[in-house]
Amino acid sequence: MAETKGEIDRTIVNFLKAVRGADVRVSVAESLDAVRVADFVGWENREVLKQGLSLALAKTTEEKGRFDACFEAFFTAVAERSPAEDENEATDDWDGDTAGVNNELAQMLLEGDQAEIAAAMEEAAAEVGLENIKFFTQRGLYTQRILRQMGLEGLDAAIREAQANTGMGEGEGQGQGSGGGGQPGQAAALEVARKRLFETARNLVERRLSLYGAETTRDLREGRLRRSRLGNLDRRDQEEMRKLVARIAKRLAALHSRKPKRRNRGMLDLRQTMRRNYANDGIMFDLIWKRKKISKPRVMAICDVSGSVASVARFLLQFLYALHDVLNDVRSFAFSGKLIETSQFFAAHDVDAAVDQIMNAVGYMPTDYGKSLEDFREGFLDQVDKRTTVVILGDGRSNNTDPRSDILKEISERSKRVLWLNPEPPPLWGTGDSEIFRYRPYCSLMREVNTLQHLERVVNDLVRVVKAAS
Amino acid sequence: MHADFAKKLADVDAITSGFGDLGYICSNPIATALFIAGNLEKPLLVEGPAGVGKTELANTMAAYMGLPMIRLQCYEGLDEAKALYEWRYAKQLLYTQILRDKISEVLGDAANLKESMAKLHAHSDLFFSEQFVAPRPLLKALREEHGCVLLIDEIDKADHEFEAFLLEILSEYQVSIPELGTIKAIRKPIVFLTSNNTRELSDALKRRCLHLYVPFPEAKLERQILRARVPDITEHLMRQLVAFVQNVRELDLKKHPSVSETIDWARALMLLNASELDGDLVRRTLNVILKFEEDITAVDRQALELVRQAEKATPPPAIVK
Repeated sequence: MAETKGEIDRTIVNFLKAVRGADVRVSVAESLDAVRVADFVGWENREVLKQGLSLALAKTTEEKGRFDACFEAFFTAVAERSPAEDENEATDDWDGDTAGVNNELAQMLLEGDQAEIAAAMEEAAAEVGLENIKFFTQRGLYTQRILRQMGLEGLDAAIREAQANTGMGEGEGQGQGSGGGGQPGQAAALEVARKRLFETARNLVERRLSLYGAETTRDLREGRLRRSRLGNLDRRDQEEMRKLVARIAKRLAALHSRKPKRRNRGMLDLRQTMRRNYANDGIMFDLIWKRKKISKPRVMAICDVSGSVASVARFLLQFLYALHDVLNDVRSFAFSGKLIETSQFFAAHDVDAAVDQIMNAVGYMPTDYGKSLEDFREGFLDQVDKRTTVVILGDGRSNNTDPRSDILKEISERSKRVLWLNPEPPPLWGTGDSEIFRYRPYCSLMREVNTLQHLERVVNDLVRVVKAAS
Repeated sequence: MHADFAKKLADVDAITSGFGDLGYICSNPIATALFIAGNLEKPLLVEGPAGVGKTELANTMAAYMGLPMIRLQCYEGLDEAKALYEWRYAKQLLYTQILRDKISEVLGDAANLKESMAKLHAHSDLFFSEQFVAPRPLLKALREEHGCVLLIDEIDKADHEFEAFLLEILSEYQVSIPELGTIKAIRKPIVFLTSNNTRELSDALKRRCLHLYVPFPEAKLERQILRARVPDITEHLMRQLVAFVQNVRELDLKKHPSVSETIDWARALMLLNASELDGDLVRRTLNVILKFEEDITAVDRQALELVRQAEKATPPPAIVK
């Protein structure tokens, strides 16, 4: 493996790059730790090295899993330089006689020493900076660069020469500067070897791309997913999207999991103070002030589950339930033609199963906002109190039925605030059968929400604003 | 580092066997972590489900190294007065009273106010001095002459502010007391932090520690642990028991039985003179390994099936020669 100090450093720097690509957060301090650990345990025992680096770099259970996979992938790639691989199959039909070929690369290929070739390729890869590869579109470029670095032009010349020699036959092939005479079969063997070399280089580039380019590729894809409309998502993006939502939710939860306590300056907590100062003979050195605990917000989410709104609802609900340790009490309701409470579905199943069940229960009916709001008033209005934030998700298209905005007024009067999230872009509000402007006066906030980015912002505000206000 | 310490931490195998002698069977990752953390003098943050021996790890380390163990149990509302130092107010009060009585002697025959102030300044200021500091665990750990093992237990239970307050100790092995200045560790303590992951710890804290995750042990390791902790148990019963517990951990329960509960169960079964698991026995003693009513009902329903599985997994008892 790596021998010199410089090479070791390079290896570990590349490894850190790969680890970052595998979505493990590594700070500079941690990289330094990793270098110390690697120096200390040495590179001989792979298992110990892996555990050591894992101690220094991966700091959560999920990260440990990703780290392990990355470690295996990376050090397998590095170890490929070892000569264990398929010895000598490239030039099976060739007896290995290199007479008449004065190109270094061509000789190497003809001798068929895979280890030597791999080492040379590794060297060339380092020379052209393969570890900087970022996008999959750069594959061809880097493959070409590596091959050129290894002396592809010389090889091509050698192949042409050998072909020419074969063509000319034995008779007068002596005159060339190549010294020895070209032999039949040499050109063909070189051709085959060249093809194989090309393939090896391409494989190398692919593997490195998946190690080093993972971060950029992921960033690109996630950026796109965040901005694209939830209604237009491809089916294959759904899985990716779910993971992304889970991750964002986790981050939001961590951000808001601080239990906010505000010191109530000026109000002495006499009991605590006396208790704390018993040791000082009752003389009050340590004053303790009363604190105000800020309660977690209660959220009631009412979601339209018709058509395009359902796709947004799915992610909104996933967010809300993922935030259960930040939000005190999340209750969800779904409606189209009528309204039902859906909290129990989420308690029992994961989001997808729950959404499917909900769709079976209330989905695919013509939307009737008036009837649904009535249902809400019948069943649940008495549970809305001054601490409750009501989030309504819907486009306000009620199929020309009575919108019953008076019920929304009632809800708005009872609750702390009403947020209306509308998946339609603002220019469409109020067009056709949209009753959105009738509801608007009773909402503290009405927003366009149809990408993940919007959702993230809304949920973040939801948690933060509710906290600050209470 | 002490030559003696260096020898004890010389390699992974030495640690594994040394811990084994003390009754703590550690897996390879754990021993490697101790080896690296001990030698690089980095704090070790140990995470894992409750009852897998995180606290015990620190205890055993103290015993193994022959160092005193200082433990700081974290809880909500823990502050520096309880963790680091506190002034001995009562003594300070007495001191001021004594000072008042003796003030004339100190000032002596000072002619005017200016002179007496000068004399007072010359007099050493004892009020905020080390004499009146009551050291709490963290300060004690830093002042331990031969070093010590410092265990900061269940750091996830403490407030965020407290985490930030620990940073200086963890990275520099020193603390700053405003009135006294910076106090450096005489000998760097071996620091363990444990967390049950009830909340995400801050990145700043994690950055300063090596991070070890201790999962539930595999069957083989758990058997070794049982052998070390409950030496009287028969091989057959132990194998059944471990297979049973391992299967229970696969189920969807509120809280999975931990290693400490396996050990408790083994001891309970020994008391009952059991030689083999059977459905009835399991039902009666389930409350040793499961701590929630729902979990007990859930397992109870499958008890027979689980016992059968456990039997299948274990070879029939060897005939005693």
